[in-house]
Amino acid sequence: MPVGRSVTSPRRIGVAIAWIALLLALAGLVRRELIVGNDLRSFMPPARSAEQKLLLDEIGDGPASRLLLLALGGAPPERLARLSHDLVAALHRDDRFSESLNGETDLTALDPKLLPYRYLLSPTLDHAAFDAAYLRAQLEQRMADLGSPAADLLKPLLASDPTLETLVLAERWTPARTPPLREGVWFSAHDEALLLVQTRAAAFDPVAQHDAISALQAAFAALPDAAGAHLEISGPGYFGDIVSTHTRAEAEWLSAIGLLGFAALLLLAYRSVAVLALVVLPIASGAIAGLAATALAFPAVHGITLAFGFTLLGVAQEYPIRVFSHRRAGASIEASVGGVWPLLRLAIVSACIAYLAFFASGVTGLQQLAVFTITGLLVAGAATRWLLPVTLPLQFVDVETAPWLERVRRALDALPRPRWLPWLVLGVALAMLALAPAPFWQNDLAALTPVPPALLKREGELRAALGAPDVRYLLVLDGADDEQLLVLSERLEPQAEKWKSSGLVDDVDLPSRWLPSITTQRARQAKLPDRAALEAALADAQRELPFRSGLFAPFVADIESARTLTPLTPRAFAASPLGARLQAMLTRRDGRSVALATLGGVHDADRLALAIGAAGIDGGHAGLLDLKTASESLVASYRERIGRALGAALLLLAAAVALAFRDVRRAWHVIAPMSLATLLALAVLRACGVSLSLFHLVALTLAAGLGLHYALFFERRTDSVAEERRTLHATLICVGSALLVFGLLATSTLPVLRAIGLTVALGVGFHFCLSTQMARPRS
Amino acid sequence: MLKTPLILDGALHYGGRDELGKSVAQPYVETTAISAGKVEVRRSGKPVQRFSLERAPELQALLTAFSALLGGDAATLALYYRIDAQQDGARFTLTLTPQRADLARHLADVVVDGSGAEPRCFAFRQTDGDSSVMLLGPLAAIALPQPLTAPAVSALCRSAAP
Repeated sequence: MPVGRSVTSPRRIGVAIAWIALLLALAGLVRRELIVGNDLRSFMPPARSAEQKLLLDEIGDGPASRLLLLALGGAPPERLARLSHDLVAALHRDDRFSESLNGETDLTALDPKLLPYRYLLSPTLDHAAFDAAYLRAQLEQRMADLGSPAADLLKPLLASDPTLETLVLAERWTPARTPPLREGVWFSAHDEALLLVQTRAAAFDPVAQHDAISALQAAFAALPDAAGAHLEISGPGYFGDIVSTHTRAEAEWLSAIGLLGFAALLLLAYRSVAVLALVVLPIASGAIAGLAATALAFPAVHGITLAFGFTLLGVAQEYPIRVFSHRRAGASIEASVGGVWPLLRLAIVSACIAYLAFFASGVTGLQQLAVFTITGLLVAGAATRWLLPVTLPLQFVDVETAPWLERVRRALDALPRPRWLPWLVLGVALAMLALAPAPFWQNDLAALTPVPPALLKREGELRAALGAPDVRYLLVLDGADDEQLLVLSERLEPQAEKWKSSGLVDDVDLPSRWLPSITTQRARQAKLPDRAALEAALADAQRELPFRSGLFAPFVADIESARTLTPLTPRAFAASPLGARLQAMLTRRDGRSVALATLGGVHDADRLALAIGAAGIDGGHAGLLDLKTASESLVASYRERIGRALGAALLLLAAAVALAFRDVRRAWHVIAPMSLATLLALAVLRACGVSLSLFHLVALTLAAGLGLHYALFFERRTDSVAEERRTLHATLICVGSALLVFGLLATSTLPVLRAIGLTVALGVGFHFCLSTQMARPRS
Repeated sequence: MLKTPLILDGALHYGGRDELGKSVAQPYVETTAISAGKVEVRRSGKPVQRFSLERAPELQALLTAFSALLGGDAATLALYYRIDAQQDGARFTLTLTPQRADLARHLADVVVDGSGAEPRCFAFRQTDGDSSVMLLGPLAAIALPQPLTAPAVSALCRSAAP
């Protein structure tokens, strides 16, 4: 027997075990070293304009999109109020949350250390002076207040603050719309306690969001009174979390069934358990090597790179199948593998050359994808060529002896192969593309991972009840420094009132709402009267009014100390809770100060954008940032790049094949069915009303890679019918397994899985049919 | 806080379960209208203040009780106050002591003097010793005792109907 000349069965098993051990060790190492980023920015084209740069920094990171909306229910209001209070206290201690509000924060309690600052922070002195006439009018008001049922609320403030600046400030700092208070906390009309929580993690970061949401749920469950009550969470971060969890669960479930079917198919085809164990080793080697190379070359790898990379690497699953099916009875493994290796090598090398096109894209994510895929394909191919043969069991069945295979081969040969058929297919495909109803591209990536409508509706209700800011629009201000930014913000204040009164927007949270510029604070300070003048004015104002003399001494003292205060800067203000809120709005970018102000209830974005755009000052400007449009335009420009890269890849592929064959006619027989099948799959998708996304493009690329194999092997000249049967066997197993795995994904309820599954399954079917028609040599 | 009790001259309008109007003519001009949970306060030369009753739970409790008193709804009144009633012929005195802690923090009691079915004085006494008294109907028209002190006003409220 010539088989297995020097390598015995136990040694083969030993090599296989060593291989597996090496893979496990490498996998452990990669797992430790690999940093998976979820930052969408690395997958976006480099920003060119300042606006784009800002968007890339803020996409999914805007303050409004980091808000979680909470509703507590299922218990009497008093208990819910207590739970709301305790939950906020618990979240304040947790670093994952930057803000937790339930209506309790007492805005009248300006940090006591900052109390004298009220005269610098309140706008009262902009239009009034603390003279006898003004104080007289104020004291008359206070007398009326004392006669009203609200007297109790105002009495504690009266002596130190007869002009009620603390209330003016509280009113200024109250959001335009907040839920009514019950038992001191926010409640909805349906007896639920409402809360607003802001996570530090960005909404697009599903890992960190999942962590924060789990922490939130655990904090609620740990409250002593939580039994029976329930916590409802809503908001973009939560949706991202449940959608990705749901997608992963369904993908894993469908893949598990697919893998079981794949295993059954292999057992049926090769009748060997060893084959089942060995078939995964080349692709696993490729994947781990790809990960290692990417981890070495880049500081962090994006989750999407991995998802797309693993999809594209699916091509490598065919390599071992080609080796298994082409083993010949009576020939050594070396001789059998050597027979198919030139074609396999051609397929691998041309695919790698094609993916080089991704390098030229200039997008980090795509370059990572190229490193991962090229390394993966090369290693999987090398493992198939040099490692797999020394581990294969010596006992095997030559597949060509199966009678059914000969029947299939004869049936295929008997099929008519009219030369006009490909041209007809081309015509039909072009017609379908031209007449397709839906828009060509789907720019809204969220449409592929949709949030259930019931959850969105509920979010809308909670957002309205809480008066929570809009997640789509932000007002962007920038200035040379914080002071210029605040001056700009103050200029915008009267404009913002106009926007509100003309119904463009419900609320604008400008930074100067929280802290006036130093210029303004100084101007107000200059208008504060000295002690003698104030005491004289007060005595005059109090005449004939029933207030006790000396009652307002604390007021006089506060004004006296306010006269010498150093104006507050955002940095100094940040130590107090209100200042922290302001600080969260401000960032430094390229040496300039930038503020992102949230907007509540945007009703007419176009007119608002125009109004805001017209409101800039010297050295500072304001703009409306539409996160949805902006991110869609980024997705479009990214997709344009990936589309161009794929087009270039196809050309490189054709050139590589033609060069290898040194025969344009033979190259045409391989490239033509592959290109036509890709076009046909695209046309059928479009005719079914599918708008294309990145996921479709990547799936089409995988299908094209598989189709290249079918065409290459069918085109192979051989004078042996037995070898033809082996080729047919390998191709049928490959097509069958791809249809099984991706056909299952196509049944998914989730659009993103359906997009990949349906596209690959359709593509594989067309590639197979057109290859049998166009690539096989005519006898 | 104040040297003398605050004397308000004006009118109360009770328009049903959750409608209450108060207009003050002296010493300042103010009208307050509460309707369906919304409060509107108008003062001369000032923009109208509007707010939801729900924003001020203490105010809501006070006005619910007030409304219950004018509407003769003893059950609702008893939710908020302990009621001591004294009857002397046609005259009556109701002393309302707040039951709920949030009300009792500032309000010591409300004394309502009246004759027949008509309330004539509302005296709000606060925990810090200040008080405000509202004279209604015929009492509002007569000359006030001098010097104006709390006991003098109280005696006026309890005097025989003029």
